[in-house]
Amino acid sequence: MEISDEFEATPSAENVFETEVQSVFQETLGLIHIALVSHYQLTEQEATELEKDLFVWFRRFCYRPGASIRENRPYLLVACCQFAREYQKYVVGTGVRASDEKLKSLLDREPVDVAHDFSRSLQLYDFRRSDA
Amino acid sequence: MPEVAKVLPFRARVGVASCSREEASARARTFRNLPEADRSEQCVNEAYSDGDVLTSICSELWELINTSPSDVAEESPRIYKWLSAKGARDFFFDERDYFLGESALLAAGSFRLLGKRDETERWLDRADASFRHTVAPAAHLARVSYIRLTLRYDMRRHEEVLELVPSVALTFQKLGMENDLAKCRFLEAMSLKELGRVEEAAVSFERLASGEEYRIEPALCGMALVNLGNLRSEQGSFDSALVAYRQASPLLQSANRFSALADLKLMLGGTLQRTGHLGAAVQAFRESVNDYVALGMEARAAYLRVVLAEALLEGGNPREAEWEILAALPTIDQEKMVPESFAAVAILRESVRQRKTDPRALLELREYLQTKN
Repeated sequence: MEISDEFEATPSAENVFETEVQSVFQETLGLIHIALVSHYQLTEQEATELEKDLFVWFRRFCYRPGASIRENRPYLLVACCQFAREYQKYVVGTGVRASDEKLKSLLDREPVDVAHDFSRSLQLYDFRRSDA
Repeated sequence: MPEVAKVLPFRARVGVASCSREEASARARTFRNLPEADRSEQCVNEAYSDGDVLTSICSELWELINTSPSDVAEESPRIYKWLSAKGARDFFFDERDYFLGESALLAAGSFRLLGKRDETERWLDRADASFRHTVAPAAHLARVSYIRLTLRYDMRRHEEVLELVPSVALTFQKLGMENDLAKCRFLEAMSLKELGRVEEAAVSFERLASGEEYRIEPALCGMALVNLGNLRSEQGSFDSALVAYRQASPLLQSANRFSALADLKLMLGGTLQRTGHLGAAVQAFRESVNDYVALGMEARAAYLRVVLAEALLEGGNPREAEWEILAALPTIDQEKMVPESFAAVAILRESVRQRKTDPRALLELREYLQTKN
Protein backbone atom coordinates (compact mmCIF):
# COMPACT_ATOMS: atom_id res chain seq x y z
CA MET A 1 0.00 0.00 0.00
CA GLU A 2 1.05 3.59 -0.51
CA ILE A 3 1.51 5.85 2.45
CA SER A 4 2.36 9.49 2.01
CA ASP A 5 5.96 10.35 2.82
CA GLU A 6 5.53 14.11 2.66
CA PHE A 7 7.36 15.97 5.36
CA GLU A 8 7.70 19.56 6.49
CA ALA A 9 10.89 21.43 7.30
CA THR A 10 9.93 22.03 10.95
CA PRO A 11 7.64 19.20 11.90
CA SER A 12 5.19 19.72 14.75
CA ALA A 13 4.88 17.15 17.54
CA GLU A 14 1.84 15.80 15.75
CA ASN A 15 3.72 15.46 12.46
CA VAL A 16 6.53 13.65 14.26
CA PHE A 17 3.93 11.33 15.76
CA GLU A 18 2.27 10.67 12.40
CA THR A 19 5.65 10.08 10.75
CA GLU A 20 6.57 7.58 13.46
CA VAL A 21 3.25 5.75 13.02
CA GLN A 22 3.87 5.52 9.26
CA SER A 23 7.45 4.44 9.77
CA VAL A 24 6.56 1.64 12.20
CA PHE A 25 3.73 0.51 9.94
CA GLN A 26 5.98 0.48 6.87
CA GLU A 27 8.62 -1.52 8.75
CA THR A 28 6.03 -4.14 9.63
CA LEU A 29 4.25 -4.11 6.30
CA GLY A 30 6.44 -6.78 4.72
CA LEU A 31 5.61 -9.21 7.50
CA ILE A 32 1.94 -8.24 7.40
CA HIS A 33 1.82 -8.88 3.67
CA ILE A 34 3.44 -12.30 4.08
CA ALA A 35 0.92 -13.14 6.83
CA LEU A 36 -2.02 -12.10 4.70
CA VAL A 37 -0.97 -13.61 1.37
CA SER A 38 1.21 -16.62 2.22
CA HIS A 39 -0.46 -17.74 5.43
CA TYR A 40 -4.05 -16.52 5.31
CA GLN A 41 -4.11 -17.00 1.51
CA LEU A 42 -5.67 -13.67 0.63
CA THR A 43 -5.24 -12.40 -2.91
CA GLU A 44 -2.86 -9.50 -3.50
CA GLN A 45 -5.82 -7.18 -4.01
CA GLU A 46 -7.56 -8.33 -0.84
CA ALA A 47 -4.34 -8.00 1.13
CA THR A 48 -3.78 -4.45 -0.10
CA GLU A 49 -7.30 -3.48 0.95
CA LEU A 50 -6.94 -5.03 4.39
CA GLU A 51 -3.59 -3.31 4.84
CA LYS A 52 -5.36 0.03 4.34
CA ASP A 53 -7.86 -0.90 7.05
CA LEU A 54 -5.03 -1.97 9.31
CA PHE A 55 -3.26 1.35 8.90
CA VAL A 56 -6.41 3.28 9.79
CA TRP A 57 -6.86 1.16 12.90
CA PHE A 58 -3.18 1.27 13.91
CA ARG A 59 -2.98 5.05 13.59
CA ARG A 60 -5.95 5.48 15.90
CA PHE A 61 -4.65 2.76 18.22
CA CYS A 62 -1.42 4.71 18.66
CA TYR A 63 -3.41 7.73 19.87
CA ARG A 64 -4.78 5.69 22.77
CA PRO A 65 -3.10 6.15 26.15
CA GLY A 66 -0.48 3.50 26.75
CA ALA A 67 2.70 2.20 25.21
CA SER A 68 4.86 3.97 22.63
CA ILE A 69 4.23 3.57 18.90
CA ARG A 70 7.12 1.16 18.48
CA GLU A 71 5.99 -0.93 21.44
CA ASN A 72 2.57 -1.17 19.81
CA ARG A 73 3.95 -3.14 16.86
CA PRO A 74 3.05 -6.61 18.21
CA TYR A 75 -0.57 -5.45 18.55
CA LEU A 76 -0.51 -4.50 14.88
CA LEU A 77 0.23 -8.13 14.09
CA VAL A 78 -2.60 -9.31 16.37
CA ALA A 79 -4.99 -7.01 14.53
CA CYS A 80 -3.62 -8.20 11.18
CA CYS A 81 -4.29 -11.85 12.04
CA GLN A 82 -7.71 -11.01 13.45
CA PHE A 83 -8.72 -9.01 10.35
CA ALA A 84 -7.46 -11.73 8.00
CA ARG A 85 -9.07 -14.55 9.94
CA GLU A 86 -12.42 -12.80 10.17
CA TYR A 87 -12.41 -11.95 6.49
CA GLN A 88 -11.23 -15.33 5.26
CA LYS A 89 -13.63 -17.20 7.54
CA TYR A 90 -16.44 -15.16 6.09
CA VAL A 91 -15.42 -15.75 2.48
CA VAL A 92 -14.83 -19.47 3.06
CA GLY A 93 -17.97 -19.81 5.17
CA THR A 94 -20.20 -18.42 2.45
CA GLY A 95 -18.75 -20.87 -0.09
CA VAL A 96 -17.23 -18.20 -2.30
CA ARG A 97 -13.79 -19.73 -1.76
CA ALA A 98 -12.66 -23.26 -0.96
CA SER A 99 -10.41 -23.93 1.98
CA ASP A 100 -7.49 -26.36 2.18
CA GLU A 101 -6.21 -28.10 5.31
CA LYS A 102 -3.42 -25.61 5.87
CA LEU A 103 -5.80 -22.65 5.79
CA LYS A 104 -8.39 -24.49 7.90
CA SER A 105 -5.88 -25.20 10.68
CA LEU A 106 -4.70 -21.57 10.59
CA LEU A 107 -8.27 -20.27 10.82
CA ASP A 108 -8.85 -22.59 13.79
CA ARG A 109 -5.97 -20.99 15.68
CA GLU A 110 -6.44 -17.90 17.83
CA PRO A 111 -5.13 -14.78 16.06
CA VAL A 112 -3.16 -13.86 19.19
CA ASP A 113 -1.22 -17.15 18.95
CA VAL A 114 -0.55 -16.75 15.25
CA ALA A 115 0.54 -13.16 15.84
CA HIS A 116 2.82 -14.34 18.61
CA ASP A 117 4.63 -16.56 16.11
CA PHE A 118 4.94 -13.64 13.75
CA SER A 119 6.27 -11.47 16.57
CA ARG A 120 9.19 -13.82 16.88
CA SER A 121 9.97 -13.10 13.23
CA LEU A 122 9.75 -9.43 14.08
CA GLN A 123 12.21 -9.84 16.95
CA LEU A 124 14.55 -11.67 14.61
CA TYR A 125 14.20 -8.82 12.13
CA ASP A 126 14.98 -6.26 14.86
CA PHE A 127 17.97 -8.31 15.96
CA ARG A 128 19.35 -8.41 12.43
CA ARG A 129 18.69 -4.71 11.99
CA SER A 130 20.53 -3.78 15.19
CA ASP A 131 23.35 -6.10 14.15
CA ALA A 132 23.77 -4.44 10.77
CA MET B 1 -12.71 -4.08 -0.60
CA PRO B 2 -13.04 -6.67 -3.38
CA GLU B 3 -16.42 -7.14 -5.02
CA VAL B 4 -17.10 -10.28 -3.02
CA ALA B 5 -16.92 -8.39 0.25
CA LYS B 6 -18.99 -5.52 -1.04
CA VAL B 7 -21.77 -8.01 -1.73
CA LEU B 8 -21.32 -9.84 1.55
CA PRO B 9 -22.00 -7.92 4.74
CA PHE B 10 -18.39 -8.01 5.92
CA ARG B 11 -17.03 -5.36 8.27
CA ALA B 12 -18.41 -1.92 7.51
CA ARG B 13 -16.14 0.37 5.55
CA VAL B 14 -17.75 3.65 6.39
CA GLY B 15 -14.92 4.99 8.51
CA VAL B 16 -12.01 3.88 6.37
CA ALA B 17 -11.26 7.29 4.93
CA SER B 18 -9.22 8.54 7.87
CA CYS B 19 -9.10 12.29 8.34
CA SER B 20 -6.34 14.42 9.86
CA ARG B 21 -6.27 15.13 13.58
CA GLU B 22 -7.01 18.80 12.90
CA GLU B 23 -10.02 17.97 10.77
CA ALA B 24 -11.27 15.44 13.32
CA SER B 25 -10.85 17.98 16.15
CA ALA B 26 -12.73 20.62 14.19
CA ARG B 27 -15.60 18.22 13.49
CA ALA B 28 -15.63 17.13 17.14
CA ARG B 29 -15.80 20.75 18.31
CA THR B 30 -18.60 21.59 15.89
CA PHE B 31 -20.56 18.60 17.12
CA ARG B 32 -19.92 19.33 20.80
CA ASN B 33 -20.95 22.97 20.39
CA LEU B 34 -24.41 21.90 19.22
CA PRO B 35 -26.92 21.72 22.06
CA GLU B 36 -28.29 18.21 22.44
CA ALA B 37 -31.74 19.26 21.24
CA ASP B 38 -30.26 20.51 17.96
CA ARG B 39 -28.37 17.31 17.18
CA SER B 40 -30.15 15.34 14.48
CA GLU B 41 -29.89 11.55 14.42
CA GLN B 42 -27.78 11.79 11.28
CA CYS B 43 -25.45 14.30 12.91
CA VAL B 44 -25.01 12.05 15.96
CA ASN B 45 -24.41 8.99 13.79
CA GLU B 46 -21.82 10.80 11.68
CA ALA B 47 -19.90 12.01 14.73
CA TYR B 48 -19.96 8.83 16.82
CA SER B 49 -19.42 6.37 13.97
CA ASP B 50 -16.22 8.07 12.82
CA GLY B 51 -13.35 6.70 14.92
CA ASP B 52 -11.22 9.81 14.36
CA VAL B 53 -13.97 12.21 15.42
CA LEU B 54 -14.90 10.04 18.39
CA THR B 55 -11.24 9.95 19.46
CA SER B 56 -11.22 13.76 19.34
CA ILE B 57 -14.49 14.01 21.27
CA CYS B 58 -13.04 11.79 24.00
CA SER B 59 -9.83 13.86 24.11
CA GLU B 60 -11.87 17.03 24.44
CA LEU B 61 -13.95 15.52 27.25
CA TRP B 62 -10.80 14.46 29.13
CA GLU B 63 -9.53 18.04 28.88
CA LEU B 64 -12.87 19.29 30.19
CA ILE B 65 -13.38 16.84 33.03
CA ASN B 66 -11.71 18.87 35.78
CA THR B 67 -13.19 22.21 34.78
CA SER B 68 -16.69 21.11 33.81
CA PRO B 69 -17.45 17.63 35.16
CA SER B 70 -21.21 18.09 34.75
CA ASP B 71 -20.78 18.58 30.97
CA VAL B 72 -18.76 15.39 30.76
CA ALA B 73 -21.28 13.55 32.95
CA GLU B 74 -23.97 14.43 30.39
CA GLU B 75 -22.07 13.73 27.18
CA SER B 76 -20.17 10.55 27.97
CA PRO B 77 -23.18 8.36 28.94
CA ARG B 78 -24.81 9.44 25.64
CA ILE B 79 -21.78 8.14 23.74
CA TYR B 80 -21.84 4.91 25.73
CA LYS B 81 -25.54 4.39 25.06
CA TRP B 82 -25.11 5.02 21.33
CA LEU B 83 -22.18 2.57 21.12
CA SER B 84 -24.07 -0.07 23.15
CA ALA B 85 -26.83 -0.10 20.55
CA LYS B 86 -24.34 -0.92 17.77
CA GLY B 87 -22.77 -4.24 16.91
CA ALA B 88 -19.03 -4.98 16.88
CA ARG B 89 -19.13 -5.25 13.08
CA ASP B 90 -19.86 -1.55 12.79
CA PHE B 91 -16.38 -0.82 14.14
CA PHE B 92 -12.78 -1.63 13.41
CA PHE B 93 -11.46 -4.61 15.30
CA ASP B 94 -11.60 -3.73 19.03
CA GLU B 95 -12.76 -0.12 18.63
CA ARG B 96 -16.29 -0.66 19.91
CA ASP B 97 -14.94 -2.08 23.17
CA TYR B 98 -12.33 0.63 23.40
CA PHE B 99 -14.77 3.51 22.92
CA LEU B 100 -17.30 1.88 25.26
CA GLY B 101 -14.55 1.67 27.89
CA GLU B 102 -13.37 5.21 27.25
CA SER B 103 -16.87 6.74 27.46
CA ALA B 104 -17.63 4.73 30.62
CA LEU B 105 -14.35 5.84 32.19
CA LEU B 106 -15.13 9.47 31.35
CA ALA B 107 -18.55 9.05 32.96
CA ALA B 108 -16.97 7.45 36.05
CA GLY B 109 -14.38 10.21 36.39
CA SER B 110 -16.94 12.99 36.03
CA PHE B 111 -19.49 11.45 38.42
CA ARG B 112 -16.72 10.97 40.97
CA LEU B 113 -15.86 14.67 40.76
CA LEU B 114 -19.55 15.46 41.24
CA GLY B 115 -19.56 13.34 44.40
CA LYS B 116 -21.89 10.65 43.01
CA ARG B 117 -20.17 7.55 44.30
CA ASP B 118 -22.70 4.86 43.38
CA GLU B 119 -22.83 6.02 39.79
CA THR B 120 -19.05 6.21 39.69
CA GLU B 121 -18.83 2.55 40.78
CA ARG B 122 -21.34 1.49 38.14
CA TRP B 123 -19.50 3.31 35.34
CA LEU B 124 -16.17 1.92 36.50
CA ASP B 125 -17.59 -1.60 36.23
CA ARG B 126 -18.75 -0.82 32.70
CA ALA B 127 -15.35 0.60 31.74
CA ASP B 128 -13.64 -2.47 33.17
CA ALA B 129 -15.96 -4.85 31.31
CA SER B 130 -15.31 -3.13 27.97
CA PHE B 131 -11.58 -2.46 28.23
CA ARG B 132 -11.05 -6.13 29.12
CA HIS B 133 -11.80 -7.04 25.48
CA THR B 134 -9.46 -4.57 23.82
CA VAL B 135 -6.24 -5.70 22.23
CA ALA B 136 -3.95 -4.10 24.83
CA PRO B 137 -6.02 -3.72 28.01
CA ALA B 138 -3.25 -3.23 30.61
CA ALA B 139 -3.02 0.57 30.34
CA HIS B 140 -6.77 1.08 30.34
CA LEU B 141 -7.48 -1.32 33.20
CA ALA B 142 -4.83 0.52 35.21
CA ARG B 143 -6.65 3.79 34.47
CA VAL B 144 -9.87 2.19 35.77
CA SER B 145 -8.01 1.03 38.90
CA TYR B 146 -6.66 4.53 39.44
CA ILE B 147 -10.16 6.05 39.50
CA ARG B 148 -11.26 3.26 41.86
CA LEU B 149 -8.43 4.31 44.17
CA THR B 150 -9.47 7.97 44.03
CA LEU B 151 -12.93 6.83 45.04
CA ARG B 152 -11.41 4.97 48.00
CA TYR B 153 -9.58 8.17 48.88
CA ASP B 154 -12.88 10.08 48.81
CA MET B 155 -14.31 7.45 51.16
CA ARG B 156 -11.34 7.99 53.45
CA ARG B 157 -10.05 4.44 53.01
CA HIS B 158 -6.50 5.72 52.95
CA GLU B 159 -4.77 2.55 54.16
CA GLU B 160 -6.30 0.69 51.21
CA VAL B 161 -5.09 3.38 48.81
CA LEU B 162 -1.56 3.04 50.17
CA GLU B 163 -1.70 -0.72 49.86
CA LEU B 164 -3.02 -0.80 46.28
CA VAL B 165 -1.51 2.23 44.60
CA PRO B 166 2.00 0.73 44.02
CA SER B 167 0.63 -1.95 41.67
CA VAL B 168 -1.21 0.61 39.53
CA ALA B 169 1.83 2.88 39.58
CA LEU B 170 4.02 0.02 38.41
CA THR B 171 1.81 -0.57 35.36
CA PHE B 172 2.04 3.11 34.43
CA GLN B 173 5.80 3.04 34.99
CA LYS B 174 6.25 -0.01 32.77
CA LEU B 175 4.20 1.60 30.01
CA GLY B 176 6.02 4.93 30.27
CA MET B 177 2.79 6.76 31.21
CA GLU B 178 4.55 9.43 33.27
CA ASN B 179 1.64 11.72 34.00
CA ASP B 180 -0.54 8.83 35.18
CA LEU B 181 2.36 7.63 37.31
CA ALA B 182 2.68 11.11 38.82
CA LYS B 183 -1.06 11.11 39.55
CA CYS B 184 -0.56 7.88 41.52
CA ARG B 185 2.28 9.47 43.48
CA PHE B 186 0.05 12.47 44.18
CA LEU B 187 -2.78 10.25 45.41
CA GLU B 188 -0.32 8.37 47.60
CA ALA B 189 0.94 11.65 49.07
CA MET B 190 -2.61 12.83 49.72
CA SER B 191 -3.38 9.62 51.60
CA LEU B 192 -0.19 9.96 53.64
CA LYS B 193 -1.24 13.52 54.48
CA GLU B 194 -4.69 12.37 55.59
CA LEU B 195 -3.14 9.66 57.76
CA GLY B 196 -0.96 12.25 59.48
CA ARG B 197 2.28 10.95 57.94
CA VAL B 198 3.18 14.55 57.29
CA GLU B 199 6.88 14.33 56.52
CA GLU B 200 6.48 11.48 54.02
CA ALA B 201 3.67 13.39 52.34
CA ALA B 202 5.74 16.59 52.21
CA VAL B 203 8.67 14.77 50.60
CA SER B 204 6.34 13.33 47.93
CA PHE B 205 4.72 16.71 47.21
CA GLU B 206 8.15 18.34 46.95
CA ARG B 207 9.35 15.71 44.51
CA LEU B 208 6.26 16.13 42.37
CA ALA B 209 6.44 19.93 42.44
CA SER B 210 10.11 19.94 41.51
CA GLY B 211 9.26 18.15 38.25
CA GLU B 212 12.64 16.42 38.40
CA GLU B 213 11.37 12.88 38.48
CA TYR B 214 8.47 12.97 36.04
CA ARG B 215 7.28 15.07 33.16
CA ILE B 216 3.95 16.12 34.62
CA GLU B 217 1.22 18.53 33.66
CA PRO B 218 1.40 21.99 35.33
CA ALA B 219 -1.98 21.49 37.04
CA LEU B 220 -0.72 18.46 38.97
CA CYS B 221 2.43 20.36 39.91
CA GLY B 222 0.20 23.20 41.15
CA MET B 223 -1.94 20.80 43.20
CA ALA B 224 1.18 19.32 44.79
CA LEU B 225 2.27 22.86 45.74
CA VAL B 226 -1.13 23.72 47.22
CA ASN B 227 -1.01 20.65 49.46
CA LEU B 228 2.63 21.22 50.33
CA GLY B 229 1.66 24.75 51.37
CA ASN B 230 -1.17 23.37 53.48
CA LEU B 231 1.20 20.96 55.25
CA ARG B 232 3.72 23.72 55.89
CA SER B 233 0.96 25.94 57.24
CA GLU B 234 -0.19 23.22 59.64
CA GLN B 235 3.43 22.82 60.77
CA GLY B 236 3.55 26.55 61.51
CA SER B 237 5.87 27.39 58.59
CA PHE B 238 3.60 30.13 57.28
CA ASP B 239 6.18 31.79 55.04
CA SER B 240 6.95 28.50 53.30
CA ALA B 241 3.22 27.92 52.93
CA LEU B 242 2.66 31.27 51.27
CA VAL B 243 5.60 30.70 48.90
CA ALA B 244 4.08 27.38 47.83
CA TYR B 245 0.62 28.94 47.30
CA ARG B 246 2.17 31.75 45.28
CA GLN B 247 3.95 29.24 43.03
CA ALA B 248 0.81 27.13 42.65
CA SER B 249 -1.59 29.87 41.64
CA PRO B 250 -0.32 30.64 38.08
CA LEU B 251 0.07 26.93 37.34
CA LEU B 252 -3.55 26.23 38.25
CA GLN B 253 -4.81 29.34 36.48
CA SER B 254 -3.04 28.47 33.24
CA ALA B 255 -4.57 25.00 33.39
CA ASN B 256 -8.07 26.33 34.19
CA ARG B 257 -8.20 24.12 37.30
CA PHE B 258 -10.92 26.11 38.99
CA SER B 259 -11.73 23.59 41.72
CA ALA B 260 -8.05 23.36 42.67
CA LEU B 261 -7.92 27.17 42.72
CA ALA B 262 -10.92 27.14 45.04
CA ASP B 263 -9.03 24.65 47.25
CA LEU B 264 -6.02 26.97 47.17
CA LYS B 265 -8.15 29.89 48.39
CA LEU B 266 -9.55 27.71 51.18
CA MET B 267 -6.08 26.69 52.30
CA LEU B 268 -4.74 30.23 51.96
CA GLY B 269 -7.68 31.39 54.08
CA GLY B 270 -6.75 28.81 56.71
CA THR B 271 -3.16 30.03 56.80
CA LEU B 272 -4.25 33.68 57.05
CA GLN B 273 -6.68 32.76 59.85
CA ARG B 274 -3.92 31.00 61.79
CA THR B 275 -1.63 34.04 61.42
CA GLY B 276 -4.33 36.37 62.69
CA HIS B 277 -5.18 38.03 59.36
CA LEU B 278 -8.89 37.46 59.80
CA GLY B 279 -10.11 40.02 57.26
CA ALA B 280 -7.96 38.56 54.50
CA ALA B 281 -8.92 35.03 55.56
CA VAL B 282 -12.62 35.86 55.29
CA GLN B 283 -12.06 37.30 51.84
CA ALA B 284 -10.20 34.17 50.71
CA PHE B 285 -12.96 31.91 52.10
CA ARG B 286 -15.64 33.99 50.38
CA GLU B 287 -13.88 33.72 47.03
CA SER B 288 -13.57 29.99 47.55
CA VAL B 289 -17.31 29.68 48.27
CA ASN B 290 -18.13 31.66 45.12
CA ASP B 291 -15.83 29.47 43.03
CA TYR B 292 -17.43 26.25 44.28
CA VAL B 293 -20.92 27.62 43.68
CA ALA B 294 -19.94 28.63 40.14
CA LEU B 295 -18.61 25.11 39.55
CA GLY B 296 -21.86 23.56 40.75
CA MET B 297 -20.04 21.86 43.67
CA GLU B 298 -22.78 22.64 46.16
CA ALA B 299 -21.70 20.23 48.91
CA ARG B 300 -18.18 21.64 48.91
CA ALA B 301 -19.59 25.18 48.92
CA ALA B 302 -21.76 24.31 51.95
CA TYR B 303 -18.71 23.04 53.85
CA LEU B 304 -16.84 26.23 52.95
CA ARG B 305 -19.72 28.37 54.21
CA VAL B 306 -19.40 26.64 57.58
CA VAL B 307 -15.65 27.39 57.60
CA LEU B 308 -16.41 30.98 56.61
CA ALA B 309 -19.04 31.28 59.36
CA GLU B 310 -16.47 30.21 61.94
CA ALA B 311 -14.04 32.87 60.74
CA LEU B 312 -16.79 35.51 60.72
CA LEU B 313 -17.82 34.59 64.24
CA GLU B 314 -14.21 34.74 65.36
CA GLY B 315 -13.92 38.17 63.76
CA GLY B 316 -16.95 39.48 65.60
CA ASN B 317 -19.43 39.37 62.73
CA PRO B 318 -22.20 37.11 64.08
CA ARG B 319 -24.89 38.39 61.65
CA GLU B 320 -22.82 37.53 58.58
CA ALA B 321 -21.96 34.18 60.15
CA GLU B 322 -25.70 33.46 60.53
CA TRP B 323 -26.29 34.21 56.84
CA GLU B 324 -23.60 31.79 55.82
CA ILE B 325 -24.96 29.07 58.11
CA LEU B 326 -28.49 29.62 56.81
CA ALA B 327 -27.17 29.36 53.25
CA ALA B 328 -25.29 26.12 54.04
CA LEU B 329 -27.94 24.20 56.01
CA PRO B 330 -30.34 23.39 53.12
CA THR B 331 -27.51 21.74 51.13
CA ILE B 332 -26.25 19.91 54.23
CA ASP B 333 -29.77 18.46 54.66
CA GLN B 334 -30.41 17.81 50.97
CA GLU B 335 -27.07 16.10 50.31
CA LYS B 336 -27.27 14.19 53.62
CA MET B 337 -23.84 15.47 54.56
CA VAL B 338 -24.45 14.61 58.22
CA PRO B 339 -26.53 11.80 59.78
CA GLU B 340 -30.03 12.75 60.90
CA SER B 341 -29.06 12.07 64.51
CA PHE B 342 -26.23 14.59 64.36
CA ALA B 343 -27.17 16.89 67.24
CA ALA B 344 -24.85 19.77 66.41
CA VAL B 345 -26.95 20.72 63.38
CA ALA B 346 -30.15 20.97 65.41
CA ILE B 347 -28.39 23.00 68.10
CA LEU B 348 -26.83 25.26 65.49
CA ARG B 349 -30.15 25.75 63.69
CA GLU B 350 -31.87 26.71 66.95
CA SER B 351 -29.06 29.01 68.07
CA VAL B 352 -29.11 30.82 64.71
CA ARG B 353 -32.90 31.15 64.97
CA GLN B 354 -32.35 32.84 68.35
CA ARG B 355 -29.58 34.94 66.76
CA LYS B 356 -27.04 33.54 69.24
CA THR B 357 -24.89 31.25 67.07
CA ASP B 358 -23.43 28.43 69.16
CA PRO B 359 -19.68 28.37 68.36
CA ARG B 360 -19.24 24.83 69.79
CA ALA B 361 -21.97 23.40 67.57
CA LEU B 362 -20.45 25.22 64.61
CA LEU B 363 -16.99 23.80 65.41
CA GLU B 364 -18.42 20.30 65.81
CA LEU B 365 -20.21 20.54 62.46
CA ARG B 366 -17.12 21.91 60.69
CA GLU B 367 -14.92 19.14 62.10
CA TYR B 368 -17.44 16.49 61.10
CA LEU B 369 -17.74 17.83 57.56
CA GLN B 370 -13.97 18.12 57.29
CA THR B 371 -13.46 14.46 58.08
CA LYS B 372 -16.45 13.00 56.25
CA ASN B 373 -16.72 15.00 53.04
